[in-house]
Amino acid sequence: MMNNKQKILYGAFFLTLLVLPFVLNSRWESVATTFLIYSAVALSQDIVLGRAGMFDMGHAIFFGLGAYSTAILNTVYGVPILLTIPVAIILPLVFGIVLAAPIVHLRGDYLLVTTIGFNIVFTQALKNNVFGLTGGPNGIFGIAAPSLFGYSLSSQTAIYFMAFFLLLLTLFIIRNLETSKIGRALHYINEDSLASECVGINTRFYRLYSFGLSAAIAGLAGVVFAVQFSAVSPEAFNFMQSVLFFTIVLVGGPSSIEGVLLGTFFMFVLPEMFRQFAEARYLVFGIAMILIMIWRPRGIWPAKFGRIPKYFFKD
Amino acid sequence: MDIFLQQLVNGLTIGSIYALVALGYTMVYGVLKLINFAHGDLVALSAYIGLVIMMQLIGVVSSKAVIIVAVFIFTAIIISIFGVLLERMAYRPLRKAPRLSAVVSALGASLLIENGIMLIWGPMPKIFPASIVPNINWNVGGVYISLMQLLVLVISLILMIVLYFFVNQTKLGAAMRASAIDQDAARLMGINVDKIIMTTFIIGSSLGSVGGLFIGMYYRGIYFNMGWIYGLNAFVAAIIGGIGNIPGAMLGGMLLGVFNAFISGYLSSSWALALTYVLLIVIMIFRPTGILGERVAEKV
Repeated sequence: MMNNKQKILYGAFFLTLLVLPFVLNSRWESVATTFLIYSAVALSQDIVLGRAGMFDMGHAIFFGLGAYSTAILNTVYGVPILLTIPVAIILPLVFGIVLAAPIVHLRGDYLLVTTIGFNIVFTQALKNNVFGLTGGPNGIFGIAAPSLFGYSLSSQTAIYFMAFFLLLLTLFIIRNLETSKIGRALHYINEDSLASECVGINTRFYRLYSFGLSAAIAGLAGVVFAVQFSAVSPEAFNFMQSVLFFTIVLVGGPSSIEGVLLGTFFMFVLPEMFRQFAEARYLVFGIAMILIMIWRPRGIWPAKFGRIPKYFFKD
Repeated sequence: MDIFLQQLVNGLTIGSIYALVALGYTMVYGVLKLINFAHGDLVALSAYIGLVIMMQLIGVVSSKAVIIVAVFIFTAIIISIFGVLLERMAYRPLRKAPRLSAVVSALGASLLIENGIMLIWGPMPKIFPASIVPNINWNVGGVYISLMQLLVLVISLILMIVLYFFVNQTKLGAAMRASAIDQDAARLMGINVDKIIMTTFIIGSSLGSVGGLFIGMYYRGIYFNMGWIYGLNAFVAAIIGGIGNIPGAMLGGMLLGVFNAFISGYLSSSWALALTYVLLIVIMIFRPTGILGERVAEKV
């Protein structure tokens, strides 16, 4: 499983995350919370993109579906936040499977384009106030804070720890996925889908499974996102947001947990640090994305699989 | 009936602009199998550069026709240089890398160009000068056609016919088609594939620059991030026709333009964008290779 180096690394990482909310000011605590949420979403995107090898560029849909489920149930029907969680997980899960079902057989770029299409239709539907529930271009405001046994969890630190718990849960699921039959099947499908079909792996089932699982995690992350900002708007789940998650995974390193976490830091926290340079930072980011891909085409922290001799790899 | 014909004319006008931009996507996809996400931003950049050149010339040259021709030629040259640089810097080093790395590099290039435009010209929209193309309208049986629309239609049509013959009748065109089918085999036949890819970027960028200038002159308002939406629409057009297929991109652009115009004219403009992508999804589900694309068996 984990070697000593990894144990120390993860130990230090979790310890830092535990201490962070007590040393950061409120702006950076909010950035750290968003970092945790985005990490969870990026890790869930990685299940489809990195592990199953399907080019999904519409992951913000599922993140948004979770957030909007919570927002609508809470503000329109007055359901407490914690009780909205099952809906915010199941709805994206069902959507993930239903949307993916007709398209999972498509080859790389075709799937990418279709998921872009889904995402644009999704945001346009939100903007046009579909069913009169989504609140139009401004979104929904005034989402209540969750309460547990009568205590209101409205402080920034409480929300930070909710996001922390979300990330732990996501890491636990992915850790299990990696060492399970399903994870191995996905890895095999990614390497060679035809060969995996020939040895009897039901590629369609596992592809839909990966879509469902990743949509469910993203939906849960959406709940925490809605609580953190106590508002949701279409802009937070548009196509550019999907591009961000897509880029996080590829810049960090597909199917590498450490890589995706680093990618989230690089693509989300660093731009926040350079806020004073306003727009110029994205220019620099564009250059950085190109350079990283040239120097490290498999990501900053690429995944390593077992002890396979080097000569087995195609260049 | 008048509304129908009027929307058809409007649709064909914007459709031929889409088609010009779509050609850039489809040609690059043909040779590199890469979605060139930065192409839309090159189109936006061409509108800004064209505007700068136009403002410089307006005081010096009196003939409007000369100004327009000069703007088109100089912008096409400058944007081709950008296109070649883009290929050299962002795509060539990644030709042997995993497919998705090149996609991220393209997204990075897009971010770079878009924010470069904003840093130079600012976030506010720029307006093209009025009546650089004289505002003449003809009434043909109840349908109004402006000189600008006629220019867009005729110039696009001429460019597409020239491109079609270039690709199908010339030696360079044959080399281009060969490189699209199999790069290694093309190299063995003595084709300089790097040079072909460079040519593809030059042609694609020049056509895109014409599209960008048309957007500026037809709609007049240009803004720094317009590359995304025009780029995506043009890209959808390329897919509708069958990506990698040159006549397909022309047909797809026209169809998409007309489809958009009818949706905006008869239904509602707020759903036009969503319905465009519903059309894309439907085509992807039922005929992923597009209208003119050939059925390709999966490569083993």
